[in-house]
Amino acid sequence: MATTIIDGQQVDFEAGDTILEAAKKVQIKIPTLCHAEDLSVYGGCRLCVVEIEGESLLKPACATEITEDMKIRTHSPKVREVRRNLFELIVASHDISCRLNCLTCSRNQSCELREIAADVGAHEMRFDPIDKGYDNDCSSASIVREPNKCITCGRCIRKCEEVQGVGIFTMANRGPSTFLTTFGDKGMGNVECTNCGQCIHACPTGALHEVYHYDRVWDMIKEEDKFVVVQTAPAVRVALAELFDQEPGTIITGQMVSALKRLGFDRVFDTNFAADLTIMEEGTELISRINDGGPFPMFTSCSPGWIKYIEHFYPEYLDNLSSCKSPQQMFGAVAKSYYAEQHGIDKDNMVVVSIMPCTAKKFEAGRTEMDEDVDFVLTTRELGRMIKEAGIDLADLSAESYDPMMGESTGAANIFGSSGGVMEAALRTAYELITEEELEKLDFKAVRGKTGIKEAEVEIGGLTVKAAVASGLANVGELMEKIKAGEQYHFVELMACPGGCIGGGGQPIPTNKETVENRMEAIYEIDADKKLRKSHQNKEVQKLYENYLEKPNSHLAHKLLHTSYVKREN
Amino acid sequence: MANFLKDEKIIDLENYEFQALNKVLNSSALDLINDIKKADLKGRGGAGFPAGVKWELARNENADKKYVVCNADEGEPGTFKDRYLLENSPWKVLEGILISAYVIGAQKGYIYIRGEYSKPIKIFKKIIKAAENNNLLGENILGSNFDFELTLIKGAGAYICGDETSLLNSIEGRRPRSRIKPPYPIQSGLYRKPTLVNNVETLATAVEVINNGVEKYNALGTKESNGTKLISLSGQINEPGVYEIEFGSVTIKEIIEKLGKGVINNRELKFVVPGGVSTSILPREKLDILYSYEDVSDAGSSTGSGAMIAIAEGNNLIDLMLNVAEFFMSETCGTCFPCREGIRQVCYLLENAKQRGHLTNRDIELITDLSQTTYLAARCGLGQTSLNFVTSILDNYQEELLQGGGR
Repeated sequence: MATTIIDGQQVDFEAGDTILEAAKKVQIKIPTLCHAEDLSVYGGCRLCVVEIEGESLLKPACATEITEDMKIRTHSPKVREVRRNLFELIVASHDISCRLNCLTCSRNQSCELREIAADVGAHEMRFDPIDKGYDNDCSSASIVREPNKCITCGRCIRKCEEVQGVGIFTMANRGPSTFLTTFGDKGMGNVECTNCGQCIHACPTGALHEVYHYDRVWDMIKEEDKFVVVQTAPAVRVALAELFDQEPGTIITGQMVSALKRLGFDRVFDTNFAADLTIMEEGTELISRINDGGPFPMFTSCSPGWIKYIEHFYPEYLDNLSSCKSPQQMFGAVAKSYYAEQHGIDKDNMVVVSIMPCTAKKFEAGRTEMDEDVDFVLTTRELGRMIKEAGIDLADLSAESYDPMMGESTGAANIFGSSGGVMEAALRTAYELITEEELEKLDFKAVRGKTGIKEAEVEIGGLTVKAAVASGLANVGELMEKIKAGEQYHFVELMACPGGCIGGGGQPIPTNKETVENRMEAIYEIDADKKLRKSHQNKEVQKLYENYLEKPNSHLAHKLLHTSYVKREN
Repeated sequence: MANFLKDEKIIDLENYEFQALNKVLNSSALDLINDIKKADLKGRGGAGFPAGVKWELARNENADKKYVVCNADEGEPGTFKDRYLLENSPWKVLEGILISAYVIGAQKGYIYIRGEYSKPIKIFKKIIKAAENNNLLGENILGSNFDFELTLIKGAGAYICGDETSLLNSIEGRRPRSRIKPPYPIQSGLYRKPTLVNNVETLATAVEVINNGVEKYNALGTKESNGTKLISLSGQINEPGVYEIEFGSVTIKEIIEKLGKGVINNRELKFVVPGGVSTSILPREKLDILYSYEDVSDAGSSTGSGAMIAIAEGNNLIDLMLNVAEFFMSETCGTCFPCREGIRQVCYLLENAKQRGHLTNRDIELITDLSQTTYLAARCGLGQTSLNFVTSILDNYQEELLQGGGR
């Protein structure tokens, strides 16, 4: 441990600490923009420059290692002036027009530039806004890119490359024409984008956002002859509250259901019901693979980001994917058949809307393999927007329950929202189905937590089941390489987003380490509080089999609940 | 006039002796480094870092692989002295590369030549082939146990590649932008291995230091500027060209008047850009200074790459500023905000001033702020020096610019 002086304060630091890290230890906030804790150092925005005694030029705090006896001034008059000038330049290149498009921006509530304006003490804007004149990239079913708002900080590039291991973005051209684009300027919908939406979380501005469905959903609700049902994914209930100024990890299930009813949905159901159903189908598939000797490992199929990833990068493993549709799609298929038939609703008049923590679900709903099971997909953020627009005071609503027939769920379904949850849910059920004994210890701690790659071995009826779990596509890629190199597993759970769906691209901003951890805790809290914690205990699912599907993996179940995949070009 | 570097043209191998290389292969590398240090040979690319120190640091690095790179991406407007060396003394340049590689223990090197230099590229392709056929490249060079392989890289037209870390990114096939330092290329350069990057003229000068001996070399020049320097003389003068100058032997005014034979059409000189468009201008009142690192620096500018541009009275200053600013605007790599956005805004302000016919006090305030921010906060040398020309014009001719910017 050595010491140095920052703004007159003695600071202890470890070798390798940057000025930015050391300053934080003594409660000095140096503004940053291109810097992000989970990404490599870029040193582009220069907002974090500081003055070091004896140096004529300012140095970026994010990229400068601190050394002993450095005398650093982080907010000297010179530094503050440079920062204000830089900020003016950034704003001029950010497409804020005299039509006050700032107010309609996707990030009007979470704009990082607004925060920085206060941090640098911006008080005048002396430069005219630059009209960059780019067209929006609307080629993707999930994500829109507005290049005019992009300030080319490169955070999305690094997120996609480093955290997700995909790398669809690049800087192109030079000089004032420097801009951020996809390979060959093809657009996000025409490259290997997995639609995971992590780039949205990386972006400090509104240059990236989901393809909005909320306006169409308003239209559907308005139309009287439409029977609009809505389902809510497990990860939404532990995150939605953040959009209404509550702590990350606040559980708001009942209030959310209540709000959805007030918005005018005809039925409010739970994707968790379909998650329990998924476990019945996927668990049965696993058991038959165990009996038939493979193919192993069997891969989970609920994360559409992961599905597109494997279709692009590991198509030779498509047979290893479970043929089960994701819970979102199973829900849609069951709603438009079983529920519609039982209630005499014309399938063509039924509209299925999902509330998802995910942007890739928008793409998934539109896959040709999916037969229009789901019509519209809203992100957690879009739902928050609708609730606000409708003037509903979410936090103070009294809780209501999901509607019957497709509203019940067990704890096992709920943990689908967290990395390791699908694995744990499947193990709980598979154990009891195979051994026909009651599982005493329900918590499979080895597959829980935020670690990127987790492994576990579970004894089930004399067989040692080898399981692995990965979340975040860079971790997924690492695990796939391990499998390619010969590592053997029976069952592997793969999720595109770090931490699983709770860290999804459609979740409230910020979605970071801290918020994901809090949401994760909440997810397991819901599970622990449930009386029924195993999917096969779900009464409504049992009834669905009794009255309609007959049994898991039946002919009808296959028709409605299973799907196929395609090899995609790279 | 000195003639260490600017001697007769030698293209045929049989006419070149490799005297320095033979000497080096038969003596201790440490002695050689000491000689280069004693000669206080400063990097001739523009930044002026002592070459001997660089060589010593590179030699002291422990690594399984090291690289040398000859930076022949001569892109600073007005600079053409490396082209002269590549076209007229290619063997000397090769000899410099070989010596630097031998001294630091590198077995692989690159010469990165500006893409527009088609003639030097052609020449160097031949030189490399001939060298390979004559045991000057390959294994056991000239019977020694020194192995070395040299690859020519043709630049693709980006000024930023003259910055050494951007150049390394370019060789690796990456987007050319400067790397964050430290680590310096000496520690972790090309493919993360210790890499010594030297300018063409630096290497050729090192050869001459060895050929002539340090004493003879150090007898030339001033206290802080030993030996000679090639300058690329251009602009509105009668005899532009490459001249070799003994440091401290002539004033800038003499260079313009005696070597360049004065301003064209007997017009009056207005100012001189002493080291390329990334350096500050010196108005005609300040030209009675000797040409040396220290004298030019004391006058508020820099010898830079040695590109000396003479500008006569009668030019529109706003046009000139805009011309230089536009060059830097289109050549910034786009990574750091002050350089990308700052220069762009300066160009807008100058374009407006051009339309209007003069600068306003507001323009001057904004350009000054932007220059200061870009200088203090840009990520690499390109950005830091990009507005020197513009700012120095503002400083020297403020009244004139407010009136109209030209006469």
